[in-house]
Amino acid sequence: MRQLTRRQRVSAIVLAMLALSFLTLDLGGGGLREAHSGVRGALGSLYRGTDAVFGPARRWVEGLPSAGTNEAKIARLKQENAQLRGRLDARQTDQRTGTQLAKLQRAADGGNHVLLPTRVVALGPGQGFDWTVTVDVGRHDGVQAGQSVTDGAGLVGRVLHADSDSSVVLLAADPGSGVGVRDVRNSEVGLATGAGTGGFVFVPLNPDAVIKVGDHLSTGPTGSTSYVAGLSVGRVTAVRTSADGTVRATVVPTASPTAVDLIAVILEGNASQAGRAVLRPAR
Amino acid sequence: MTRARLAAATAAILTALLLQATLVAPLTAPFAVSLPAVLVAAVALVDGPAAGMSFGFVAGLMADLGSHHPAGVLALCWLGIGLLCGTFADRRSLRRDAVAAGIVCGLAGSAATLLLAMVHSGGPAWDAARYLVPTGLADAVLALVVLAIVRRMLRSDSLRAPHPVLTELAIGPRRG
Repeated sequence: MRQLTRRQRVSAIVLAMLALSFLTLDLGGGGLREAHSGVRGALGSLYRGTDAVFGPARRWVEGLPSAGTNEAKIARLKQENAQLRGRLDARQTDQRTGTQLAKLQRAADGGNHVLLPTRVVALGPGQGFDWTVTVDVGRHDGVQAGQSVTDGAGLVGRVLHADSDSSVVLLAADPGSGVGVRDVRNSEVGLATGAGTGGFVFVPLNPDAVIKVGDHLSTGPTGSTSYVAGLSVGRVTAVRTSADGTVRATVVPTASPTAVDLIAVILEGNASQAGRAVLRPAR
Repeated sequence: MTRARLAAATAAILTALLLQATLVAPLTAPFAVSLPAVLVAAVALVDGPAAGMSFGFVAGLMADLGSHHPAGVLALCWLGIGLLCGTFADRRSLRRDAVAAGIVCGLAGSAATLLLAMVHSGGPAWDAARYLVPTGLADAVLALVVLAIVRRMLRSDSLRAPHPVLTELAIGPRRG
C-alpha cells in the first residue's frame, strides 16, 4: 500500500469539492446546460461514426441468443408483410432490419402517423442513470424534443433532447418515468410508471377500477399525456390490491426496453421538414 | 505532464467513452460494466494515485457532461477509483491488480447508482447491490486486458511518467 503525500491528499479533497460543486450547480437550476448540450452534441456525432464501424459486429453478437426464434419469426412476418416489404430497399440484405422496417410501416398505416426510421447508435450508462439511447436523427431531420418513439409494435419512449444530427431518447421503461395510459378493455385511465427490465407498474386513477390479467394498455388520450395517443404500452400480467385499497398492476412492455435497434420517431406537424425518407401511411 | 501524455490521455478517454456507449454498454446490459472506469483503475494501478485521480476526475466529468444526469456524479466516483487503485496497487501481479480494479470499479458503480438514487430520482437503489458481483467480475476480466495494454503503454519511453528530480543540497558547516 502506498502512502499519500500531503499534496496528493490536498489534491483529492480539492477535486472532490470541485465534483460536488458541479453536482450542486447542475442540480440547482441547469447552470451547466450549455456545457451538457455542447459535449452531448460532439459525442453524438462521434457515436454515429463509431457505430458505423462497430455496429454490425455488435448487432451480430446481440442477435446470437435469439437466432433460432428470430428465424421462425422472420419467416412468418416475411409472408405476412410481403406487400409492404416490396416498398423497402430491394437490395437490403439484412433481414432483421427489413422486418423491423416492415413493422414500422404497419405502425404508420395503423396509427396514421408519419414515422422517421432511425437506428440506435449508443446507449446511456443504465443502472441508476436515466434509461436513454442515442439515435442517428436530429433537428435537421425534423426531430423535436417531446416526440414519441415507437418500434412499430409499441411505445419505446420520447425524445428528450434533439441535437442537429442526433437525439437522445428517454425510454418509457426508465424507472423515473411515467406514462399516461388507458386500459383498452374498460377505458380506465391511469399512470404506468417505468420499472426498468420489469416493464411498468400501472396504477389506475379510479381506485375502484377493475383491472384484469391480460388487459392491454395503450397511451392515454391526447392532452393528458406527452405521448401520441393509442400506442400499445404493454399487457397486464399481475394485479394486486394493497391494504389501503390501491390497485397496482404489473405490465409487460410491448417494446422490449433492452432490445431496441431500429426504431422510429413519430413526427407531428413538422413531417415536411424531414431531411431523410419517412414512412407515411398508405393511401 | 508531457505533451505526449496529455494527448494520449485525451485519446484514451474519448476512445473509452465511445467504445463504452457503442459496444460495451449494449453488450453487457443490464450490468453496469464500465470500460472508462476500468481504464481509470488501470492508469492509477500503473502510475499511482495522483495520475489516477486527475485522469478519473477528467474522464468522469466528460462522461457526466455527455449524459443527462447531473455533472459531478461520475467525476466523484471515478476520482475515488483513481485514489483507491493508486493507493492499493500491487504492481507486481497483473491478476491481483485486475481483481483490485474489478472490486473497486464494481463498488464505484454501485456508489454512483446510490448517489443518483439520492439526488436524481434514478433507478431503484437495490440495483446497486443486485448487480455488484457480476459487474465487478466482468470489470475484473476487462481489467486483465486493459491493464496489460496500459502497462505496456505507460512504460514506453514516450509516455513514462516524469519522475521528480532529486536535488542534493550541499550544506556547509554552519559558521559561528
